Amino acid sequence: MKTRIHPALIAFSVFTFVFLIGPLIIIIGTAVSDTTFLTFPPQGFSMRWFANIFEVSAFPRTMVTSFTLAVLATTLSLMVGVPAAYALARFRIELPKFLANVFVLPILVPEIVLGFSLLKSVATGVGASIWTSLLIGHALLVLPYCVRVVGASLNSFDFSVEEAAVSLGCPRWKAFFVVVLPNIRAGVIAAFILAFITSINDVSVSIFLTGPGISTLPIQLLAHMEQFFDPTIAAVSVLLMGVTVAVMTVVEWTLGLTFLTK
Amino acid sequence: MTVSLTLAHVSAHYGSTQVLEDLSLDVGEGELVSLLGASGCGKTTTLRLVAGFLRPTAGTISLGARNITGVAAHARNIGLVFQTYALFPHLSVLDNVAFGLRQRGMGTAERHGKAHEMIERVGLTGLADRYPSNLSGGQRQRVALARALVIEPPLLMFDEPLSNLDAKLRVDMRVEIRRMQRAAGTTALYVTHDQEEAFSISDRVAIMHRGRIMQLDAPEVLYSRPANAFVADFVGFGNMIPLEVAGEDDTRVIARMAGGATLSLPKADFSVPGRNFVLAARPEGLGVSQGGAGIPATLGLRTYLGRAYQYRCTTDVGEVIANGPLSDPLEPGSNVTLVPQPDQCCLLPAETA
Amino acid sequence: MNSRLQAWLLALPATFFVVVCLGLPVLSTLATTFGEPAGPFVTYIQFFTSGFRRAVLLRTIEVAVITTAISLVVGFATAWVVARSPGRIKSILIIAAVFPLLTSVVVRSFAWMVILGKNGIINKALLALGILNEPLSMLYTEGSVIVAMVYLFVPLMILTLVGVLEGIPQDLTDAAASLGAPPSAAFRQVVLPMAVPGLIVGAVLVFTGSFTSYATPQLLGGDRQTMMGTFLYQRAMVTFDWVGASTIAAVMVVVTIATVLLMSRLARKLNPVVG
Repeated sequence: MKTRIHPALIAFSVFTFVFLIGPLIIIIGTAVSDTTFLTFPPQGFSMRWFANIFEVSAFPRTMVTSFTLAVLATTLSLMVGVPAAYALARFRIELPKFLANVFVLPILVPEIVLGFSLLKSVATGVGASIWTSLLIGHALLVLPYCVRVVGASLNSFDFSVEEAAVSLGCPRWKAFFVVVLPNIRAGVIAAFILAFITSINDVSVSIFLTGPGISTLPIQLLAHMEQFFDPTIAAVSVLLMGVTVAVMTVVEWTLGLTFLTK
Repeated sequence: MTVSLTLAHVSAHYGSTQVLEDLSLDVGEGELVSLLGASGCGKTTTLRLVAGFLRPTAGTISLGARNITGVAAHARNIGLVFQTYALFPHLSVLDNVAFGLRQRGMGTAERHGKAHEMIERVGLTGLADRYPSNLSGGQRQRVALARALVIEPPLLMFDEPLSNLDAKLRVDMRVEIRRMQRAAGTTALYVTHDQEEAFSISDRVAIMHRGRIMQLDAPEVLYSRPANAFVADFVGFGNMIPLEVAGEDDTRVIARMAGGATLSLPKADFSVPGRNFVLAARPEGLGVSQGGAGIPATLGLRTYLGRAYQYRCTTDVGEVIANGPLSDPLEPGSNVTLVPQPDQCCLLPAETA
Repeated sequence: MNSRLQAWLLALPATFFVVVCLGLPVLSTLATTFGEPAGPFVTYIQFFTSGFRRAVLLRTIEVAVITTAISLVVGFATAWVVARSPGRIKSILIIAAVFPLLTSVVVRSFAWMVILGKNGIINKALLALGILNEPLSMLYTEGSVIVAMVYLFVPLMILTLVGVLEGIPQDLTDAAASLGAPPSAAFRQVVLPMAVPGLIVGAVLVFTGSFTSYATPQLLGGDRQTMMGTFLYQRAMVTFDWVGASTIAAVMVVVTIATVLLMSRLARKLNPVVG
């Protein structure tokens, strides 16, 4: 039984949530409008702008790129991030203190600075391909989530359980997979989801690294907006909101949404 | 200033679950009464009702002559010591203790003076500038006590105040709490699930179960004369043997148990509460003897308690636990009789069992 | 194998990745700014003596500060209500805050273009009501950038602060009440001081996020409201002035790191709870 909330505060919060959700509803409205310009409330009802997404070949192509990139970057990041998180949690005293901060650097460095620096050094400097540059950029971008979220579940893991497995004859490397990993599953899933959504929504890093023929969906969306300000943009936006719904459903299934306030 | 606390016909619900049912309780001026019971028995709910964090669905709560049922928590002037201590982590020991005085509009100099005095009284001299995170469990407990005492409340309440301390400290602190409460002469309500703790510091103890008080009495009375089977079991009368009166003469009652064996109970030691009744016995209340009159039993597993051997015994009424002397260890399988010892047994009416 | 070696072997790939792919490129960008033939600080002197560049920096700081301030107030009030709502309503409100947070920044900025544009919803409504005779140009103003930025960051603030407020045990507010503090005093003397670290974390996230943002100023500010992010992009990709772009990058890094350090020092000062 909690204290009562002041009615003025409740009214204010209602206003906040209308402010938060309203614009997204407006986008849905404009996406189904049967007009060639963006308008709300919608005039008529038509799904043709959704069909148009697939007429503009860049959209389906960049969707595939964005999805593939997000999966690859997240996987790469987890592959280096999970062992690092494990080392930090398990052998805390053996490693210098600053090491934990190294993995947070990608958050501290502004994304746009990272994007520009990668363009300068990796894409132009070393001459890496667009794909390689994007993969490096996105993997760096999501590494902090991987290390910190997995690290949080490792910190609450009782490593004597791992020692118990070893004492029962399980080799060390195997103990990690059969004992540790199943117990930090929630953390790994959470890290994957956060990393995936961060990668798929990224603009600031990708804007420097995309190039002729290879682009990501948000960058393609920006480019399209400069030339055509039509309901196709709204339709793509609705699709992207669909991705959000899908991600939230997965979070709810696996961790519960309250996870996100922790 | 000291007043009595009265709860009259108080009921409380959480949603559709009834947590307290028509509970009445009187705590006299300067008295310390404990609410004792397992978790979920309603003891903490009772305390939160008195504190004003919950509202009863029926009944009244009064401090002395003042009905406080509808009074807001912050206007009740009750000192409360929390299980978690609930010290303000952002305030020093001094500011924690002075918090209540500040709410009463007392000037800085005066409230710091009073707080310092109280900090000394609870034995924390020199720690006034520390923060709670830099204190040991016992020290935090003392700060919580000082903070509740310094506002000189007419009623002090304790919600399992010692459950986060280690065993030795628990004993020291409960003596301390009792001493401070006595010295201040404050009426007190104390909630705990620890029987020893409740019995050692209380004037009276209310044993609670499912939102009701099963018995409210002095510890000595609860311990030797439980009013019903629940309380008997709670205070350690582990064996319950149903009996029926089979006959009596001037000096003794003959009682028959299931299976046909009879017991002879001297009237000088036992007062039989009805035709059907229950013999409640502590393990040490059933003397193990070879032959003679008593409850026929076969000894099972023997364990060593330090002061006695304990036996699991098979009888016609199921498993019974009895203690036997160290001088005479008996082997499992022996056939013995168990003889009720009047000072460690009591008789209860059958309907309460 | 000794455990120090094991620890290093496990941490090595990630460390190597960050140092080589992030550390070296960013350091090289910063180094570029000192490598001018005319002298090591020339580009910075140019940056701070140019009225236009200074204006961009000041505008960006101004937008970030205003966005942070509004987000703090709106986020705290809303988080307070969310944290105190009963279970079912609370989950719905959290979903409503998470949803925009996880949705693309481009989508969320685009929504405000539709709302604030010349033919946007606000203009159409005001014209229809007869309040206006001709549409207002709200797009490409500092105000439109701030509105969209607040929209971007309020969910983050709400979620951060709900976590903080829920972390304040109910026992503490109960204790304050039992000691005679009415709800308003309990709020001022217990809840607010305990929420300060969370407020600072939220402020840092919002300030650095809005200070370094690109998509929102690009879409809602355009060329008229150039901010540091869009300015960096222009220099790098339109005029190909990489030294100039590197200088902007260096200024952004310094401001970001200075903010983080300053605020964490402030957090320590305002929050005397040790350990």
